Amino acid sequence: MSEKKLPGKLFSVLENEGITPETILAYSPIDLSFACEYVYGYVFLTENYLGVATSAPISSHIIYMKGTQKKDDVSYEEETEYTYRLYDVAKVEKLHREHMVATNLICMEYEGRPVRVAAHSNLYLADMEAFLKKYKQFIKGEQITEEEEAEEQEELYCPVCGTKYPDEERKICPKCMNKRSIFMRTFRYFLRYKWMIIVLAFCYVASALVSLAWPYLSGTVLYDWVLAKNDTYLAPFGLQGQYVTALFVLVACMLAAKVTQHTISIIQGSVMARIVATSIRDMKQDIFASMGELSLRFFTSKQTGNLMTRVLGDAERVTGFFLDGFPYIFVHSFTILASFIVMFRLNWQMASVACVLLPLLVVISVKLKPRIWSLFGRRHRAERAVNTKVNDNLTGSRVVKSFGQQGGEIERFEGPNDYLRDAEVRIEKYNNRFTILYNLVQEISAIWVWLLGVFMMMQSHRIEVGILITFVGYVAQLNGPMNFFSRVFRLWSDSINAAQRMFEIMDSIPEIKEVPNPIALTAPKGEIKLSHVSFGYDKNRRILKDIDFEVRPGEVLGIVGRSGAGKTTLVSLISRLYDVDEGKIEIDGIDVKELAFRDLRRNVAMVSQDTYIFMGTVADNIAYGNPGATREEIMQAAMLASAHEFISRMPDGYDTVIGAAGKDLSGGEKQRLSIARAVLANPKILILDEATASVDTETEKAIQKALDYLVQGRTTLSIAHRISTLKNADRLIVIDSGRVVESGTHTELMEMNGVYAKLVELQTKSLSLEEVDD
Amino acid sequence: MEQKRNFEIESMNEEVEQMTSLRQITAENAVFTKTDGGFISLDFDSGHWDRVNVIRLFPFTDPDKYISVRTAEERSREIGVIMDIRSLSKETAEMLEAQLTLHYFTPVIQKVIDIKDEYGYAYFHVLTDRGECRFIINMGGNAVVRLTDSRLLISDIDENRFEIPDVFALSVKEQRKLDLFL
Repeated sequence: MSEKKLPGKLFSVLENEGITPETILAYSPIDLSFACEYVYGYVFLTENYLGVATSAPISSHIIYMKGTQKKDDVSYEEETEYTYRLYDVAKVEKLHREHMVATNLICMEYEGRPVRVAAHSNLYLADMEAFLKKYKQFIKGEQITEEEEAEEQEELYCPVCGTKYPDEERKICPKCMNKRSIFMRTFRYFLRYKWMIIVLAFCYVASALVSLAWPYLSGTVLYDWVLAKNDTYLAPFGLQGQYVTALFVLVACMLAAKVTQHTISIIQGSVMARIVATSIRDMKQDIFASMGELSLRFFTSKQTGNLMTRVLGDAERVTGFFLDGFPYIFVHSFTILASFIVMFRLNWQMASVACVLLPLLVVISVKLKPRIWSLFGRRHRAERAVNTKVNDNLTGSRVVKSFGQQGGEIERFEGPNDYLRDAEVRIEKYNNRFTILYNLVQEISAIWVWLLGVFMMMQSHRIEVGILITFVGYVAQLNGPMNFFSRVFRLWSDSINAAQRMFEIMDSIPEIKEVPNPIALTAPKGEIKLSHVSFGYDKNRRILKDIDFEVRPGEVLGIVGRSGAGKTTLVSLISRLYDVDEGKIEIDGIDVKELAFRDLRRNVAMVSQDTYIFMGTVADNIAYGNPGATREEIMQAAMLASAHEFISRMPDGYDTVIGAAGKDLSGGEKQRLSIARAVLANPKILILDEATASVDTETEKAIQKALDYLVQGRTTLSIAHRISTLKNADRLIVIDSGRVVESGTHTELMEMNGVYAKLVELQTKSLSLEEVDD
Repeated sequence: MEQKRNFEIESMNEEVEQMTSLRQITAENAVFTKTDGGFISLDFDSGHWDRVNVIRLFPFTDPDKYISVRTAEERSREIGVIMDIRSLSKETAEMLEAQLTLHYFTPVIQKVIDIKDEYGYAYFHVLTDRGECRFIINMGGNAVVRLTDSRLLISDIDENRFEIPDVFALSVKEQRKLDLFL
């Protein structure tokens, strides 16, 4: 909700009508004119009037949508002139909000005629809903209540930068939760393996030292000491005059250096492999765990392929920088620094020449880096699109084949696939150009060093050949670390982007949370009570409106209604797959939000139309909700669900492994397995959602028999299209357009002669027609 | 009683019949009138509606054709379909267009001033045909939908819509800012 106050300027025009800030009972900001311009405006309510005030179009001001306005951004509302319209509140009827495609229209009946009052974007949806609620309280003569959120307002802004949180439920300021903190958080994954990290650090330092010594050994020592037979240098080692021995000693040293270097590499490699694999595993585990916590809404709003890329790909990408990049920043910085010190001490003129192009390399990296970021993002999205397409196709393979669309699908796959190729090509092309440019600059520096060195040798013999070779060795050795620094940005960006996506999942606060001290449901009776329940998947569209009903313990309640009336949604709310938007659902007098998840889910079982069969044996699937069940219990459950017969006919009986998603089973078989699952779970409350919808009459009879047994001693909510399957319901409710329109026993409802009677009539009629047709 | 039932069945069959057939509304068989309340009333096929709503059946691909004319109640019912809005008189067409424009209100982005993406959200600062605007989208969901190769539909975190009719008509610099979403 926004916390906009009515501007003072508004009252300067309203004063003539006797409207002052004190007389306003409720108001809501609006932001659209009927001519589709953005305006400033308000809808307000006083004892006598319903009023609408709007400004002229405000195209010269910035329009701030949710989350973009900072506290200190200037508002021009105080300077704006308003025009208004007042309606006699006594003549207003049916004031309501209608949802348009992405905006809202406030409508009413005024003196019995339909009138549009105002229009607003979704920005003010919550304000308008609150206003309409207060209006309803007003016409009912109730006290208008303020929502209890005044003190929370302050917290909607980030304390650091003053930006409004884009998502109020999730108080993370994207501006402040920046790359650095993502880095630290990711880093913690590796810090768990302290000892291995220390070993690695040791390896890095050791190999850096060896590689630092190498050019010196192969250049200065070989040429200027040994080859040049320079006793001054050899004397400290006691080798003066013994040049062959000196050569052997040198060779032995060089050999030792190489052996050490490679031994270190082996240790480093194996430690690294361990850290990489383990940390990837940790991350995947964490992502998977947080995915389980997420509510169903999250899964319905994201494509599965997308999620798969996240779980599998991102963890690997994240580690890239941290293990191949991060430590080397230190190692290579050290190598570069040490090399330069050695080089400057050997010969400062040549060292300066070698450095001269260094700033150019930095400029190239910094300048060209951002482009790489966006190219990588593009590739990631392309990959995701390809994955989504593949996933979509695999899941829908039956439809694809039966409509003969393999060809078409291949063509449709071409789009995203080509796109991925293009993205890949672009990255490679860009990277290529970048690398070549970079290498060119490096090669130029090497050539310069050669030139200058040879020149100096010819001119004045100011340097020895050994020093020149040592020098060239160092310059060449710099290439590796330098290349690394040009590449490390890429690793960094890739890694941080992936980490960001990963944390996004981990940080998504589950919409449905268990309260801190949940109430346990020890001896459930199975009483259900819904009071004023409203709910919508989309915040703009209510699926259920103001539902009220009660189910007594042990009662069987039938829920009838056309498809799309909201029946399945209603039962999903009881087991808290979603949370109600308004109102309350109670089980045994306790709000379901207060109940422990474990107790709630154990006591409420659902047999629905789309049953999911996991990969595993038949027995595992039946015991899904109750893994400790004995073989006898599993068989007993299967028998009660009339599943035992078909299971025993399967080649491997209860040990038969069912493929992914139960593809080898028929609809009726899956249905019966899920009933067996429910039997074994032994819930106090049973929800049957079209449990017999997709099966033939004989199977239906069998399932019906299983269900008849199942409902005994349980509170049952049963949804069915075919009213005949609800004949043993104690009571029925009829849902239409998200409201309970009728309720009572079959006889009562027939006597009412309303929607239910109409449905029964229609079904018997069409049934008898079917019989004639047969 | 029995008779009443039969009657109901018949009316239901009729309803089904209506649901499954396309009734065309043309300049000849219907009169649309603007009401004081800002809505449109309709006289058609010996019926009168104080208020009707119009919606596009192909809002993206064919916005001027196949306009469904519906009753105004919550569970609205289709009264008929206008095959082509241009076949109506100019005044009627304009009157309906005004309703449609409001119903499908979607500012058109003419210039991308800035886009920043941070921690799962992208912050847009754009110039639309309705003025300068700032909004935020969620990067995780499907906030940016490609209607065609060049046409983008963008929904902010409140599900307010914005449109870019032709990405390639924007400057290269702006396209680069949009790169993240292409």
